[in-house]
Amino acid sequence: MTGRAEILSTPSEAAPARPAAAWRRDPLLVGILVVIAAVCLGLVGLQPAPYLVNAIGQLAAFAILAVSLDLVWGYLGILSLGHGLFFAIGGYVCAMHLLAHAFAVTGVAPDFVQFMGWTALPAYWAGLTHAPYALALALGLAAAVAFVFGLASFRSRVNGVYFSIISQALVYVAMLLMFRNDTGLGGNNGMTGFPLLFGYPMGSAAVTTGLALAALGTLAAVLVGTRALVAGPIGRRMLACRDDETRLRTLGYGTTRLKLAIWCLSAMIAALAGVLYVPQVGIINPRVLSPDLSIEIAVWMAIGGIGRLGGAVIGAVAINALKFWLSAALPEAWPFILSGLVLVVVLALPNGLLDLATLRTRPTWLRGGAPR
Amino acid sequence: MAEMWDWSPRPLARLAFGLMLMLSATVAAAAGDALDRPGLVAALCGDAAALGRGAEAVIGSAGSAAPDDLAFAGGVLRGLLDRRLACVGTGAVLLDRVGAADGRDVLTGIPASATGGRSPVLGLRQRGLVEAGAGIVALLTGATVEARSAGLATLARRMGTLPEADAILERARTAEADAGLRRAIAQAMQAAALDAPDPARRRAAIAAIAAVPSSAALSRLTSLKADPAYIADPAFRAALDTGIASVERAVAIGNGLALAYNAVSFASILFMAAAGLAIIFGLMGVINLAQGEFIMVGAYAAYGVQEAFRWLAPGLIDLYLIAAIPVAFLASACVGIAVEALILRHLYRRPLMSLLATWAVSLFLINGVRVAFGSQNLQFGMPSYVSGGVPLYADFIVTWNRLFAIAFAAVTLVATLLILKRTPLGLDIRAVTQNRDMAGALGIRTRRVDRLAFGFGSGLAGLAGVALCPIYSVNPGMGANFIVDSFMVVVLGGVGTVVGTLVAALGIGGANVLIEPFYGAVAAKVIVLVGIIVFLQRRPEGLFAARRRR
Repeated sequence: MTGRAEILSTPSEAAPARPAAAWRRDPLLVGILVVIAAVCLGLVGLQPAPYLVNAIGQLAAFAILAVSLDLVWGYLGILSLGHGLFFAIGGYVCAMHLLAHAFAVTGVAPDFVQFMGWTALPAYWAGLTHAPYALALALGLAAAVAFVFGLASFRSRVNGVYFSIISQALVYVAMLLMFRNDTGLGGNNGMTGFPLLFGYPMGSAAVTTGLALAALGTLAAVLVGTRALVAGPIGRRMLACRDDETRLRTLGYGTTRLKLAIWCLSAMIAALAGVLYVPQVGIINPRVLSPDLSIEIAVWMAIGGIGRLGGAVIGAVAINALKFWLSAALPEAWPFILSGLVLVVVLALPNGLLDLATLRTRPTWLRGGAPR
Repeated sequence: MAEMWDWSPRPLARLAFGLMLMLSATVAAAAGDALDRPGLVAALCGDAAALGRGAEAVIGSAGSAAPDDLAFAGGVLRGLLDRRLACVGTGAVLLDRVGAADGRDVLTGIPASATGGRSPVLGLRQRGLVEAGAGIVALLTGATVEARSAGLATLARRMGTLPEADAILERARTAEADAGLRRAIAQAMQAAALDAPDPARRRAAIAAIAAVPSSAALSRLTSLKADPAYIADPAFRAALDTGIASVERAVAIGNGLALAYNAVSFASILFMAAAGLAIIFGLMGVINLAQGEFIMVGAYAAYGVQEAFRWLAPGLIDLYLIAAIPVAFLASACVGIAVEALILRHLYRRPLMSLLATWAVSLFLINGVRVAFGSQNLQFGMPSYVSGGVPLYADFIVTWNRLFAIAFAAVTLVATLLILKRTPLGLDIRAVTQNRDMAGALGIRTRRVDRLAFGFGSGLAGLAGVALCPIYSVNPGMGANFIVDSFMVVVLGGVGTVVGTLVAALGIGGANVLIEPFYGAVAAKVIVLVGIIVFLQRRPEGLFAARRRR
């Protein structure tokens, strides 16, 4: 129901023999990886303006987020309208780490601690000065939330739009929760004013470039990893589950376990995107949990092309680049442009912008060499 | 209810009345019932002590003095306060305006010169007494309700210092024609009785307050716990404790009723928002994320009707809310049909894409309205039938605006059920909901049914917009406040059933409003969401799943 399955269901006998090379058979992905490498080199070699570096880093974080949603929507047919929750979990834990780190180094209590009249950070902030622990906490927390919610939903066969609605309610409730000031997480204002990253001053050219490189590198790794996953036996099972879950279950495959595992993996990737995003923008507040933002992630994918990891990246980068540009140049017009774009893509290009490439010449090299 | 002073403690007040007369006789020595006019004038023109005695004499006799005596005293005192009273020789002259050369003699009314006269100087204490006297006279003889209630306010400020207050208030209440002012006077008497020296009267006053429970009465009684008599007098303590207990119980019940009333009114709005959603979802499997914006369109249509009335028929403006009902329905229905015809028609095989398309529509509508009307809240003039309310029990007030929403929802429910069960369109909608292919094979034009049903569902959202504009603020982003809750209603109630939607709306609206006062609005939402997820474990199809084949 979400577009053409045949693009990725490459029934190649060679796949199990050399799974490590799976990503190489997707020319689009290879192209994107080449572009990423080129951008990395450009960042190091050309030293562009800091705002540009920063924007590139943010785009890479959004692309990771889009890939995480593509994994469940494009390959499992589960549209989550609550992926902003996992993104926010990563972002919030990262912000907590940055604040705890700055507090430990400078001794100045964060704004919201002073605002609430407290003297120290709440107890559950303990240990967050250690980056590896913070990273593990971000991923673990996202996976745990995803596990509980996914188990409750998949076990009772909550599917399709039902799942979308409930996941939207989940992110909405989380937003209301984070708007409260007594949670110890900054409340309405969120958390901002991160002075240091691993002891280096935030905002210096080296740190900005480093963050952008880290985001790009992570994007490349996530793309290669997820591509290996979806091209392997698990990926084939995912597509089967998407296209006819009942039949797959009848054949003896445990679809709940499969969906739950991929769902948790997707949540962790989204949290990773949040971890990379927050130090670059320098703020996190409950607005990332607004249902609109979570829908927007799905919109990036719909525009880029669903069920095609490269499509997710293209959509996320294209829409966000456009947004960066237009919300500064034409802030009034941006919502109209976005809604118009969505309608055009949804009505005329069922597989997103990737359809544009196939409209005229249908070059087979873009279709992964797997015509049926 | 507040009229109870009309019957219960009347004998008591009469007794006090007599008592006061005896007391005041000592002050207004020779006066008795009749006012000694020359004596009063002489006192007012005398030294400070005599002036004070004169004012006291007026106050003391006010409970029984003849009306013309009162009017005379009032005129003199008012003149004194306004510095229009000039003492000349043995008498006094009342001037028409401050500083005039001549006026009329106070006693005889004959024109007289004020040359060489002096205005008595009022000390702080004397001024207070004179003001009280003038206020009392105004309360008793004032020509308008405003003048009399101003007099009551003056009197109430110095109630504690005036032993005669009771007799005066009793007289004023008996003579008063205005019901509202009579109630205010009764309250003032109650307050006076609470502070009275006689313990029996105080206990009676406590019982009288407790008989009309409200949170104001509760705080009034609770404040009496600090009174010395609470410790010293066991009978007083018992009376006060009983009174407080009964008022507390009544206030708790009243608050419970108010909470239930709010819950039902919120559920009504939720039902109206979700009913259209449930029909559309059941029929086409389309999640309409723009439903909240269709509500907004309905509310803006109501605003347009109000403005049209204001320009074309200002006399009938109170009727605009009624006139807005069909307009809002049609406006939202037209938008809905346009969306269906232009966009959703092409997306029936792809429900998740139609979800994104309706999101784009909602984004477009929000920003379109924002550009056209601005993002501020719209100002609605509230007709008399949706403003105010009737106090029913303790603090529970049945407010008309919420009753309007509840009644509106009830009518909508009945109308929707009738349309679905008793009209050809309803039959078609039910047939297509149950089995689209079969219905199509039997010759039903399913696409046409889709379009009409989508228009109908959108129109219901428009009606919700009319129902909520007397209660909630109306602005371009208002739809977002309802959309998540209405989706929860649809999921919980089961798709395509109006009854399920009703039960789920009552459940979710009720739970939200009932949990909120105890744990806060956020906790209420969290608990409701968790409750729904747990519930779906047992019944994934919702409360009342429509039987159908796909």
